[in-house]
Amino acid sequence: MNTGAQGRFLQRALPIAGVTIGVLLIAGPFLATIIRSLLVWDGDSVAIEAGNFLRLFGDPRFVSAALNTLIAGSCTTILALLLGFSLAWLVARTDMPGRSWLETANLVPFFLSPYVGAISWIYLLAPHGGLLPWLARTYLGVSLEWLDIYSMGGVIFVLTLFYTPYVYLFVIGPLRQMDAALEDAARVHGASFWYTLSHITLPLVMPALLSAGLIVFVTSAGLFDVPLALASPRGIRFMPTEIFSMVQYPSDLGRAAAFGIVVLTVTIVLTLLQRRFIANRRFDTVTGKGYRPRQIRLRTGGKIAALTLEAVYVGGGVILPLVALLMVSFSKLWTGRFLWRTATTGNFEYVLTKYDLTRTAITNSLFLALVGATWGVALAVLQSYYLTRGNPKRRALVDALLSLPLGIPGIILGLGFLILAIRTPLYSTLTIILIAYIARFFPFATRTVTAMFLAINPELEQSARSAGASWLQTMRLIVLPLLRPALIAAWLMLFVIFIRELGATILLYAQGTETISVAMVVLSERSSGYVAALAVVQLVMLLAAFAIMRLTRTSMSQG
Amino acid sequence: MTDRFVHISHLTKRFGDHTAVRNVSFEVPRGSTLALLGPSGCGKTTILRCLAGLETPDGGTIEIAGIPVFDSAQRIDLMPEKRELGIVFQSYAVWPHMTVAENVAFPLKVRGMGKAERLERASRMLDIVGLKGFEHRSATLVSGGQQQRIALARALVAEPRLVLFDEALSNLDAQLREQMRLELRLLQERLGFTAIYVTHDQAEAFGLADTVVLMNQGAIETMGPARDVFRRPATPFVARFFGLNVLEATLLGRIEGTPYVEVALGAHLTTRARAGSGLVASVGDPVLACIRKEHVRVEQAPMPDSYAGTIEAASFLGVAEEYIVKIDEIAIRATRPAAGFARGDSVHVGMSPDDWIVLQPGETA
Ligand SMILES: Nc1ncnc2c1ncn2[C@@H]1O[C@H](COP(=O)(O)OP(=O)(O)OP(=O)(O)O)[C@@H](O)[C@H]1O
Ligand SMILES: [Mg+2]
Repeated sequence: MNTGAQGRFLQRALPIAGVTIGVLLIAGPFLATIIRSLLVWDGDSVAIEAGNFLRLFGDPRFVSAALNTLIAGSCTTILALLLGFSLAWLVARTDMPGRSWLETANLVPFFLSPYVGAISWIYLLAPHGGLLPWLARTYLGVSLEWLDIYSMGGVIFVLTLFYTPYVYLFVIGPLRQMDAALEDAARVHGASFWYTLSHITLPLVMPALLSAGLIVFVTSAGLFDVPLALASPRGIRFMPTEIFSMVQYPSDLGRAAAFGIVVLTVTIVLTLLQRRFIANRRFDTVTGKGYRPRQIRLRTGGKIAALTLEAVYVGGGVILPLVALLMVSFSKLWTGRFLWRTATTGNFEYVLTKYDLTRTAITNSLFLALVGATWGVALAVLQSYYLTRGNPKRRALVDALLSLPLGIPGIILGLGFLILAIRTPLYSTLTIILIAYIARFFPFATRTVTAMFLAINPELEQSARSAGASWLQTMRLIVLPLLRPALIAAWLMLFVIFIRELGATILLYAQGTETISVAMVVLSERSSGYVAALAVVQLVMLLAAFAIMRLTRTSMSQG
Repeated sequence: MTDRFVHISHLTKRFGDHTAVRNVSFEVPRGSTLALLGPSGCGKTTILRCLAGLETPDGGTIEIAGIPVFDSAQRIDLMPEKRELGIVFQSYAVWPHMTVAENVAFPLKVRGMGKAERLERASRMLDIVGLKGFEHRSATLVSGGQQQRIALARALVAEPRLVLFDEALSNLDAQLREQMRLELRLLQERLGFTAIYVTHDQAEAFGLADTVVLMNQGAIETMGPARDVFRRPATPFVARFFGLNVLEATLLGRIEGTPYVEVALGAHLTTRARAGSGLVASVGDPVLACIRKEHVRVEQAPMPDSYAGTIEAASFLGVAEEYIVKIDEIAIRATRPAAGFARGDSVHVGMSPDDWIVLQPGETA
């Protein structure tokens, strides 16, 4: 009897604990930021007033940062939507040659670090010493000097490369599952190919496109990595870099917090609008009856155009950056071209064995990613249990609360934890970074696990209970094994995100708690060779995770 | 020649190594109705899609209203939108992001008709298919049968001269299907379009079509006026497809000067029977003797041309009953108005020589 009561207690308490931890992780930094934004120090006395906001809004640097961020976010969103939809459509609906291979290639940028992408593009397209201008001048006699990666255009370009896969992932499913008869009917009744694409296909995937567009807008606008690499050197202000500089000495946490609140408000309002809008417009485009996925036969011209687009995307997002990175990492001194004569592995030796900063950074990153991903997935399992099996009346609210961090920029959450930890022993420890990582990214894992949980028939658990298993035994022997594919996917996703995280870390690190990404920022002042070598080390970890993810997925679909 | 509206000749379509349509030729006179009938996977939909321009055939020609729309030799392949057809899909393919009226007016919109006029015509069309007043509903908020009518209105609104139906009625319940079948015939008389129906349901084919093309594994098995195809099955495949009894028999002899032959089924049952077209077997050869279930009479008392048998199984079908009767080792299926026989009852089975048809066993048998 006693064990029965205990089991029932665990069954209720554990999921609720998971949800509570999640809510605290979000509420803590959120409240800290709000409170701090309202506190104004005057000498030794503190007042609660709107002074931080007034000073912020009166600051022309705020206005230009906000404006630039909006421009970059909007342009990136539009370009990523165009590119992501086109690529998804080509892969899902046409007979483009090599599409089974390209299907994976299009996703690779999703797993790479935007910071590394940005610095690779510096190697490729810096006005002085860029690889591409040199190649163009030497072999084509064309001057590319007017192309400057350190610009608004450069920021938008690199952001687009990295955010296109988000759109791609959102729309490829609907495009695959859409009843092809919807398009065929339009063609037979007189619509041309392009008219059908724009008046039938596009509107039908519009809900998915809108969701993707919102995510791309809030996350790309909030990304610290790319403006840091490409805009800060020219003094072009962006929201994340501006908050970063407000926290630097002489720091003005109050004004940074006020900025953070502005960003949070915009993000939350947009997310809520999207939730309402999408809820009203979900079409059922899968009829099931008489359905056969049909491939559109591209003509030669179409095939060339399709492959050109793929070449530009995969080339710009994966191959060129990779080549540039490898060249720089094996060069003694990067002068804008690779010389076999001076090729060296010295950068790797230095970074991996000789230099304390980078060695610590690698260990720290691995520790954060391994431990963080494990905790994150554990939290996700408990929360998903609540979201699918818990109190039905509270589920929707809990779901909305727990998905809040999805759109919140890392640097804003980092700021919140900085304010929380600043006078505590947690300040400048790895633990606070770990907590910030989990707080910012656990919703990704929760989403993945919840989707899988929904697919598990509760009767599978109920029959295990009827057969005499306790709740814990049922979880261990039935639920977790069934969830395994989602657990692996969620774990790998968190691992990838944590290995490359920069926005939150940059505000929380101290001497001894640097991560790989932070070390690259620190070293970028000194030697491009070390940075590139470190980036390659990081890349190997990311690609390994990507490979495992692909392999487990194929083995799952076969098994 | 002038009234040949659709002309398909030597049409072939392959998917990889699989030949879905094999050297198919047929024509459809203007204003008439053709049904493409056959078991699942025999290539009916593929032919329809080739006609609509949604698949590119590997060989052959397609002519609509005297205009070649596809010709593999001359490399003619008109885009679907240039063929001016109407089509109704099995899944209806009603666009969920448009209202009912927008769905129906779509073919007029892409032809550049002004908004007021096309909505007016869409309204009239909706009226004809019995959806008056549904104009401004969202197309997803109507029932399956209503979606089917929307698809029909959309196919007809631009007054195409050829309308294609791919299993257009098969998702409806029996009553609605019956009703739509009648309405379609009336609509066709009124609007005068030529129609091609794809179906695997024989009742639908015979209810709708003047001409029936029965397909088997991508090739035409038989075709002709609906009545002939049904009454006088040309091959064992056709006989089986229409659910006839198809029994192994031996040819005993031909009866000179008549269309009759003498066959033996098993050890004790011999009968006269009509010779099917293409019967080339000589005396002693195996043949197939076929008889429609409805033509097998089962009675308590003996009658002319009857044999003694036993009820092997009985199943109740509502108005009728279906029996399997054994005459010695031969099992014959019979359908007749409910008579209340039960398993094991001794009965007499009557089969008239005129109802038997003897066919040459083929490779497809
Ligand atoms: N796009 C395609 N790719 C490969 N094979 C196909 C394709 N379309 C049809 N087939 C094959 O061609 C054959 C004929 O298909 P079709 O759809 O024409 O049959 P059907 O007679 O309409 O059958 P059903 O009654 O089931 O609709 C089938 O074996 C099918 O698997
Ligand atoms: Mg079909």
